[in-house]
Amino acid sequence: MTNPNPEIRIPRFDAYERVMHWMAALSFFYATLTGLALWSPKLYWMATMMGGGYHIRGSHPWVGVGFAVVMGVMARRWANGMRLDADDRIWLTRMHKYATHDHAALPPSGRFNAGQKMLFWAQLATTLALFVSGFVLWFPEWMPRSLRLLSIAAHPLAAIGSITSILVHVYMGTAAVPHSMRAMLRGYVLPEWARFHHPKWYKAWRASHHV
Amino acid sequence: MIVAKLIDTTLCIGCKACEVACQEWNDQEYTMGTFDGSYQTKPELEANFWNLIKFNEVEKDGATSWLMSKYQCMHCADAGCLAACPAPGAIVPLANGTIDFVHENCIGCGYCITGCPFDVPRLNATTKKAYKCTLCSDRTAVGLEPACIKTCPTNCLTFGERDELLRMAETRTGELKADGFADAGIYNPQGVGGTNVLYVLKHASEPEQYGLPKDPVIPWTVSLWKGPMKWMGTLMFWGTVLGAFFHFVIYGPQDPEKHGHPEEPSDKS
Ligand code: HEM
Ligand code: SF4
Ligand code: SF4
Repeated sequence: MTNPNPEIRIPRFDAYERVMHWMAALSFFYATLTGLALWSPKLYWMATMMGGGYHIRGSHPWVGVGFAVVMGVMARRWANGMRLDADDRIWLTRMHKYATHDHAALPPSGRFNAGQKMLFWAQLATTLALFVSGFVLWFPEWMPRSLRLLSIAAHPLAAIGSITSILVHVYMGTAAVPHSMRAMLRGYVLPEWARFHHPKWYKAWRASHHV
Repeated sequence: MIVAKLIDTTLCIGCKACEVACQEWNDQEYTMGTFDGSYQTKPELEANFWNLIKFNEVEKDGATSWLMSKYQCMHCADAGCLAACPAPGAIVPLANGTIDFVHENCIGCGYCITGCPFDVPRLNATTKKAYKCTLCSDRTAVGLEPACIKTCPTNCLTFGERDELLRMAETRTGELKADGFADAGIYNPQGVGGTNVLYVLKHASEPEQYGLPKDPVIPWTVSLWKGPMKWMGTLMFWGTVLGAFFHFVIYGPQDPEKHGHPEEPSDKS
């Protein structure tokens, strides 16, 4: 065939991956709002919105642990496919080309492009940092002072990192890359989308399906 | 008018009447500890025990002596607990210099414990709220002196206008120096802007001997967290949001029709 058949649906994320992703997103959203409220009196209105300060002091750590567990599941599912290959390394040095839609200057991507892979690893790193430091802040009575002093700066620092990277991610998923939302909500993409965004992945799919 | 408490450690006889008065006035149940071979009531402050007389045993000039000290909230001018607290109205600096805890507004995060350079506030395991000495704000508000002051039998404790107490402390230090205690002095650490609990110490150059930190300051990680990091966070948040928005305005979404990929696998392959 010459042109990709627009009728074909290429499966991208199965139900397991979609549920896992949206559980991460929802718990992240909740932990962000309640966490920011625990940071500053100026952001305390978020606590009021989420059920009051006393309540969120109880719930934030539990939701955080839930988020960390989901991220662990995500790591098990995706870590292998998120390793950078030679093309990805070149891609990263030409990231500005990606941002300015100069796709001709970029090496082809596999199932995930190098930017998505970096987001994944960044999220894993910040999740680990948030989990460890958050655990210390959870039980101030039982934790040594030195660890508390370290965590009280490390936790919000890691949070700033993960929140900003998720802001970029949300922008990409909703506005910058049309139809990617369909992949994460319904699980499939159309051939034209796959060919443009993830050529190597598309090629492999075609090879295995003999189309 | 800033009020303060002056503790002349040279006059303390370790009777612990002030501990009892504090428990009584604040209606706190006493939690039994274990006897650990010391005259000191407890090793540490507790959520329902806000005022501890420390029996610091030190070797001085070949003799063992007790350097008595009274351990409670210092009511700092620049209070680390307040800097750390996220809940509006949970820690309230009163006009008279007292740092008061209002438990209705406390959410039990425990950040005040980490922010306090003197390690004073304690969380109650059942109510999940933080507690410490209030300088008897409920007494001082109606012109009474704090319970510990009221009960002290030796005049080791004095309550009053801060400037006045500083003058008294100077006088007392002069007396001690005349008596041969060359190192006598006042403990009023400037790293936290001065405290509203002042001490007269015989060995002022070594406050650690009394269990008092030498140069207390708000921990730098707490200052970082509540200072520059907030600016950084605000900047990064709005930078990213606006950056994404204007990226969209300038470049628009990715479009396979317009931005085709030359290296895409040929359909003829
Ligand atoms: C609520 C906000 C979110 C939205 C709208 C969103 C949207 C999306 C979309 C549309 C995709 C599919 C991209 C593709 O097909 O290539 C995706 C993938 C992914 N999401 Fe999210 N997501 C959100 C939050 C999160 C959070 C909180 C995390 C983790 C902490 C996360 C981690 C990932 C990862 C690792 C992938 C796969 C790689 C990638 O596409 O970057 N997402 N997301
Ligand atoms: S001693 Fe600690 S609890 Fe008391 S005012 Fe100072 S920082 Fe706050
Ligand atoms: S435990 Fe209470 S008083 Fe202490 S920082 Fe948290 S909200 Fe403020």
